[in-house]
Amino acid sequence: MSSVLELRGVGKTFGGVPALKDIHLAVGASELVALIGPSGSGKSTLLRCCNRLAEPDAGDVVFEGNPVPAGGAELASVRRRMGMVFQAFNLYPHLNALENAALAPRRAAGLSQSEAETAAREALERVGLGDRTTAMPDELSGGQQQRVAIARALALRPRILLLDEPTSALDPELVGSVLRVIRSLKEDGVAMLIATHEIAFAREAADRIAFLADGEILESGPPAEVLDRPKSERLQSFLSRL
Amino acid sequence: MSEFFQTFLNPGVMAESSGLLLRGLWVTIQACLIVVPGGLLSGAGLALAQTLAPAWGARSLSWGVDVVRAFPPLVLLVLIVHGLPFLGIEPPPLLGVGIALTINTSTYYGEILRAGILSIEPTQWEAARSTGLGTAATLRHVILPQGVRNVLPDLAGNTLEAVKLTSLASVVALPDLLRMARVAQGVHFNPSPLILAALLYLALLWPLVRLIRRLGGRAVLPA
Repeated sequence: MSSVLELRGVGKTFGGVPALKDIHLAVGASELVALIGPSGSGKSTLLRCCNRLAEPDAGDVVFEGNPVPAGGAELASVRRRMGMVFQAFNLYPHLNALENAALAPRRAAGLSQSEAETAAREALERVGLGDRTTAMPDELSGGQQQRVAIARALALRPRILLLDEPTSALDPELVGSVLRVIRSLKEDGVAMLIATHEIAFAREAADRIAFLADGEILESGPPAEVLDRPKSERLQSFLSRL
Repeated sequence: MSEFFQTFLNPGVMAESSGLLLRGLWVTIQACLIVVPGGLLSGAGLALAQTLAPAWGARSLSWGVDVVRAFPPLVLLVLIVHGLPFLGIEPPPLLGVGIALTINTSTYYGEILRAGILSIEPTQWEAARSTGLGTAATLRHVILPQGVRNVLPDLAGNTLEAVKLTSLASVVALPDLLRMARVAQGVHFNPSPLILAALLYLALLWPLVRLIRRLGGRAVLPA
């Protein structure tokens, strides 16, 4: 199977401290890969290196067969096709749900206003918020805000979604609504790379799990293998503390 | 007490000088129509340039801004209005005053707008960039609408100062409101026209002052 996204030996240091070391990871079409690991293990940095919000110092990030360009319009075009969802949602607080989702289709992808709004409306319907298009972010619950953020990424019809702990900032009772949306996207065949602390969700929804510790992938494989037969001591102790 | 009224609130003098003062008021309004939009636009240019320029460029710009801000506006005014003719440029007095005061006030508008831009979390830039939005579109649709809203009371406050700043023009013989009041004062040997001028400034600025009060009372930062 050809990969949508592939990391080949990606490394990153912050002020001399290594944050990622020689990361090899591939996400195939319609595959869901979960990144698990303790806080500070480099999950966010790994995701941010994919669309170059963080600049990798070593290795290659390959998207649909081509290296992710360093900048300019080419990078912007890759970023549109690589949706990103942030832990803290990062919605535009001055725009309503529809405007949040329609901004990039209009201003980055160059669709007409009505095409952009159609794409945005479809994306909001897909996350179950077709009836809240005119709501401002501060009128929505955390779970709804995160679903708007997912819709904002989906409105660009991306080939892959990068999700950075999408449920970590949510009240427990709101986590389910967001995970349901992610599961339905998986059923629709959207490729996803997701950093998460929801191990139960990863076990049931992920095709593969990669365990990250101190910036290294220590183990990866199918959920049953990684979660039920951990080989490394780090993973064993990580799982035992959950 | 009646002597006080005769001196400062003399109705006869006020009535006689009102025509002169209204002409001065019109000149003041014209000066404001140059200085306020000019200052806002050049201030926006300064703020954007400092936001987008590489570090050394932003640093030299901020030095320039600091120099202008520390420079007495009166001296700047005299230099430009009386100095430009030596370079063979002789702008009409209103325009000369407009240029000098625009230079001065644009640095204040610029710093306020820069603060507005900086008040927006970097995560907003990241969210926009992650969807492929470029710098210009991000500024226009994401950063500035929020940032400007955050500093609206300060922008309005600086506008108030800019309007009052135009009264400096009286020293370079621009027949503005204050200048005309001084002329009338000389003619009548009575300072009542100055009080009338103050009342006209108050009428001009009152809506703005109230607007600032309203803006200040409202929480404009997003939760």
